[in-house]
Amino acid sequence: MTVPLAIDGVPLGAGGGGARDLAPLTVAVPAHEVVALLGDEGSGIGRLGGYALGLERPPAGRIAVFDTIIADLPERERLAYRRRVGYLPAGDGLLQNLSLRNNVALPLRFGSDASPREIEGRVSVMLVAARVTGVASLRPAQATEEERRRAAFARALAFDPALLILEQPFDGLTTRTAAELLELARGGEIAEGARRTILITGHELPAGLHHRVERVYRVTRAGTLQLEPA
Amino acid sequence: MSDPLSRLGGSTARRLSRLGALARFGFGALRSLATLPAAGRAVALRVTLNQIRFTATDAIGLVVLLSGILSFLVISQAVRELGQLGATDFIGTLIVVAIVRELGPLITALTVAGRSGTAIAAELATNRVLGEVRALEAMGIDPRQYLVLPRFFGSLVSVFVLLVVFDMVAVSAGLAAARFNGMVAGRYFQIVLQSLALKDVWLTVAKAVAFGLIVGIVPAYFGLAVRGAPTDIPVATSRATVTSIVGIFLCSALFVVIG
Repeated sequence: MTVPLAIDGVPLGAGGGGARDLAPLTVAVPAHEVVALLGDEGSGIGRLGGYALGLERPPAGRIAVFDTIIADLPERERLAYRRRVGYLPAGDGLLQNLSLRNNVALPLRFGSDASPREIEGRVSVMLVAARVTGVASLRPAQATEEERRRAAFARALAFDPALLILEQPFDGLTTRTAAELLELARGGEIAEGARRTILITGHELPAGLHHRVERVYRVTRAGTLQLEPA
Repeated sequence: MSDPLSRLGGSTARRLSRLGALARFGFGALRSLATLPAAGRAVALRVTLNQIRFTATDAIGLVVLLSGILSFLVISQAVRELGQLGATDFIGTLIVVAIVRELGPLITALTVAGRSGTAIAAELATNRVLGEVRALEAMGIDPRQYLVLPRFFGSLVSVFVLLVVFDMVAVSAGLAAARFNGMVAGRYFQIVLQSLALKDVWLTVAKAVAFGLIVGIVPAYFGLAVRGAPTDIPVATSRATVTSIVGIFLCSALFVVIG
């Protein structure tokens, strides 16, 4: 069976082969599960999303998304393949000159052949689901951190992806909001009706979320991967 | 230690390599137009119109001022000096060749490069530093479609529009200067039209296209080439402006050679 995300022998740490490099990381994110990979600032855990999406290449090892190494694909196919993965970068990555609504609509407008009416319909659904309809006309700088994060979740889910990669998704949010957004992300909207596969990377996971996540791994200072108790 | 010749060779190779990278960037951006979906085209068109508003509409006053003063000064002096020699017919050549064909495109392109090219480079560099370009790529959006193409076409149209404005104002200011110095309007237009050839028209149009390409592509290239910290933004902006200005002058010289 295809593993949605498989990390195989990717070295973390500072990178570049120095003393701060950690042992290569090997871990898989099974289908329909939520896996959290936590680590300190210098653990290099924040680079995994970029490696998985082929935005950068890991110095060694490989990360396969649905058995495909995205970085190896030709440019156009690489862009198309990334739409199968929802991505929430650290710091939300919203475009500052667009309203929250247009931020959510942007990937659909540039990455699908849907009609404007279909796109607007999908955007409205996502804005309601993320509970940002009331502030959808605001630009990111005019919105609160929570509203920006909600919009970023809505954008990451715009293509209804089977796999989500979330970088520090809950930093600065209350546990209640974090739990609500995690449930939204897990969803149940994909064609098969199954829940999404999610990889969360970050420094910490709110305590109230541990029971909602199937596996929580922590990269120790020695570079080993430690499974934290649920 | 390398000898001066090697250093010169290395520097030339770097410049040629950058020129190649610029050309690849420009062709890549144009090629990305083919895969732009309908909804994306509508967004890109909106951004293009916005770019035209900022680059052309908002700059009309500046171009009118520059063109009017330049033309008035040149024609005033020319009517006086050439009048003493009985060679006032040459003001037609002066208007058409010096102002409409040479200085018009040059000053218009320099105005757009200085005013909007810097803004494009700074904006795209900021997009890069804030991680917005990375976010676009991660979402499967080609940043060239959303960020580069609208600025490219916006600059192209703007340079052309501003050049038409520049030339119209130049001819009108030239008329004012000629009348101010005692020449009748009919005589002025007769001299100007006699000096105007079809070649002047296509050369002016070709220059507008070439300069529009430079002003649209060079700042976008340097803006998106930023990789690091916010301190890279002014460096990218400066490089974009200098490269655009050098490119415009070199291109202008090339047109003199081929024209």
